Amino acid sequence: MDLIRRSSAFQEDTAPLATGTAPGAGNQRRARTAAAVAAAVAVGLLLSGCGGGAAPQGADQPAAADPASADSAAGNLTVCGGKDASGIYKGTTEAFTAANGKVTAKYTEIGATTDEARTQAVQRLEGKSTECDIFLTDVIWTSEFASQGWLLDQTKLVEANKERLIPSTVETTKYEDKYWASPFFTNAGLIYYQKDKVAKPETWQQLYSEAARAPGNSFVYQGKQYEGLTVNFLEMLYSAGGEVLDDKGEVRIDSPESRKVLDFMVKGLKEGSADRAVLTYNEDPARLAYESGNFGYQRNWPHVYRLLNATPLAGTFGVAPLPAWEGGKASGVLGGWNLAISAHSTNKAAAVAFINFATTPDWQKHVAMDFSQAPVNEDAYSDAGVLAKMPFATELLASVKGAKPRPISPVYPQISQAIYKNVYAVLSGTASTEDAVKAMAGEIKAAKASF
Amino acid sequence: MAVKFLSPGSGVSGRGVNGRDRAERRLAVRMAAPSLVLMALVAAVPIGYALWLSLNQYSVRTAGLSRFVGLENYVSALTGPHWWAAFGQTFLFAGLSVSLELVLGTAMALLLNLAFRGRALLRTVVLLPYAVVTVVSAITWETMFQPNLGLVTNVLSMLGLPGGDVVWLGERGYAMAVIVLADIWKTTPFAALIILAGLQVIPAETYEAAELDGASKWQAFIGITLPLLRPAIVLAAIFRTMDALRVFDLPFVLTRGANGTESMSMLAYTQLRENRLVGEGSALSILTFLTVMAVSVVYIRFAGGNIRDVAKEEQ
Repeated sequence: MDLIRRSSAFQEDTAPLATGTAPGAGNQRRARTAAAVAAAVAVGLLLSGCGGGAAPQGADQPAAADPASADSAAGNLTVCGGKDASGIYKGTTEAFTAANGKVTAKYTEIGATTDEARTQAVQRLEGKSTECDIFLTDVIWTSEFASQGWLLDQTKLVEANKERLIPSTVETTKYEDKYWASPFFTNAGLIYYQKDKVAKPETWQQLYSEAARAPGNSFVYQGKQYEGLTVNFLEMLYSAGGEVLDDKGEVRIDSPESRKVLDFMVKGLKEGSADRAVLTYNEDPARLAYESGNFGYQRNWPHVYRLLNATPLAGTFGVAPLPAWEGGKASGVLGGWNLAISAHSTNKAAAVAFINFATTPDWQKHVAMDFSQAPVNEDAYSDAGVLAKMPFATELLASVKGAKPRPISPVYPQISQAIYKNVYAVLSGTASTEDAVKAMAGEIKAAKASF
Repeated sequence: MAVKFLSPGSGVSGRGVNGRDRAERRLAVRMAAPSLVLMALVAAVPIGYALWLSLNQYSVRTAGLSRFVGLENYVSALTGPHWWAAFGQTFLFAGLSVSLELVLGTAMALLLNLAFRGRALLRTVVLLPYAVVTVVSAITWETMFQPNLGLVTNVLSMLGLPGGDVVWLGERGYAMAVIVLADIWKTTPFAALIILAGLQVIPAETYEAAELDGASKWQAFIGITLPLLRPAIVLAAIFRTMDALRVFDLPFVLTRGANGTESMSMLAYTQLRENRLVGEGSALSILTFLTVMAVSVVYIRFAGGNIRDVAKEEQ
């Protein structure tokens, strides 16, 4: 399972590079710091030049977004991201252009899928392209992009807007004590259940035992070997009190909680709480299976609500926040998309203005009403207009507020692979819980030691 | 090779021929030079660059930081379990799919070579699977083998056949079978088309002569069709094997590499794209490249000779 490189002695030597200065790379590092300072000064001059009375940028604050610069924003702005299935990206750029008057924003689709959008974003950022001013970033990309110096530091901007943002969503933009993006819309798992067959789930244990009672009650989730399985596993692990990394970044997955959750999932597959078919399901097949009416519970994202309502199941299903672990609390894993400003943007002031607009409480209501996405502003969830369009907003808010980010690390992709490959091995019966937990911890440690 | 090139036909032919031969060869080199340079640019440069990348490590934590590690990326790939697992799985896939495709492709070509109404239309229609984007057809296959909902699983259980209650993509062996099947469905028409081209150059007189000699249809097939078809079949085999060894989209969509289906290309992709481990990923790409190269050299050594022999015989 070590897709992840096993760390050699050489690697261990240089592991502290991430925080300190390694002897070999000293010169290179100094040169880069100097370049960064120079860039910051240049940006500072530019910003204060066109921003009039904008606060001057300190040289010790490399390339940071200035909240005050928004007032004088003008010109063109390009927002880049993946496929705009709900229309929210285009809708927001159009509404912003109309509301702002001085800035013309447009949306550019750079990839049909999330993976493709990431590849395309990485290529542009590595190549220092000035095409995109703002990138829509999946919450799990933040630390990777920030560590590479690709993004503008948004700490001041986030601090200025913090009042109106749900704290858990702000956490997804954090890397090494700074904020590198602003939350745009969020996402959290929900349980859909057939009201006529099963009860609203309060705990995972109750859900699993009811699901096992009759073949038509069983639970569908995303158990294919991919990112979604990491999410499904972590939702249970977090509610059981387990974690992957602690506050200091130490690996904590080799724990009794991880073992408990894995054994619980395996038992569920054996006893029929969940059909073995979940091992092949990602989001859509899970939804389609549930739509057949042969299941009692489904774990999926909020967008499924609208789709389920267009099937014969309309009116027969309920929506609940993710259940708690018996004797523990309810938790979950945050999804969603953030707005990150490219370090190479040529119109940073307009980018700041766009972010200010996109996160206003008023626009956040539209995020829910017009595009069925989960707002990052708490008040939006109790708005009458939103509740009319999204009757499960209260349950969604509970899920969002209880949810935690996935492990924050520049090597997150490797960490996630270590989780989903080993969890899959246990669920499909090719590895024991004990071996898998040990392997997971070992691989995550090795990934964290990556050069 | 080089020595032979500089003194062509040494010790065999006379001096006069040798001199003219040399001048002609020089002219040939000069005429081929532009395309050789172009090929070097489009093929050798990227490969050389990948080779260079594979000898370094690039930091995933600090932008722009890298270090030379020599063969370390190769050593860790070749001593770890992942490369060899992917290697074995890829060859299993290629072996199964290519051999079945050749058998079915030959059968299909023989049918398409018969004279019947609508033959031209049918020749076009059979190519349709090949025209479908692999990712799209992979998603279709995924749906068909879905437990509970899938067409295949439903039909199997309706007919009371085994396999109806199998989670095909969730079990070792079964998952590989689906991937092989999806590949056969897609590329058999391609193999058939190449073999059909081979069939059409077999002169009708040979069959007439065989018939006069009292050969049965089967004897004619074994004694005439197959031997004369060999170059075409080998050509189809080369194309298909090269393709199959680089398989990526089918396992990527159908299983994400779970249940013993991760291919060499998938492994390289994961390291390069998902993990941005440029050095490690490039080393895996180079290993994949070398593997495919080695197989093609083996093919061309045998099949190349075969093609030359046939050409000589026809002269």
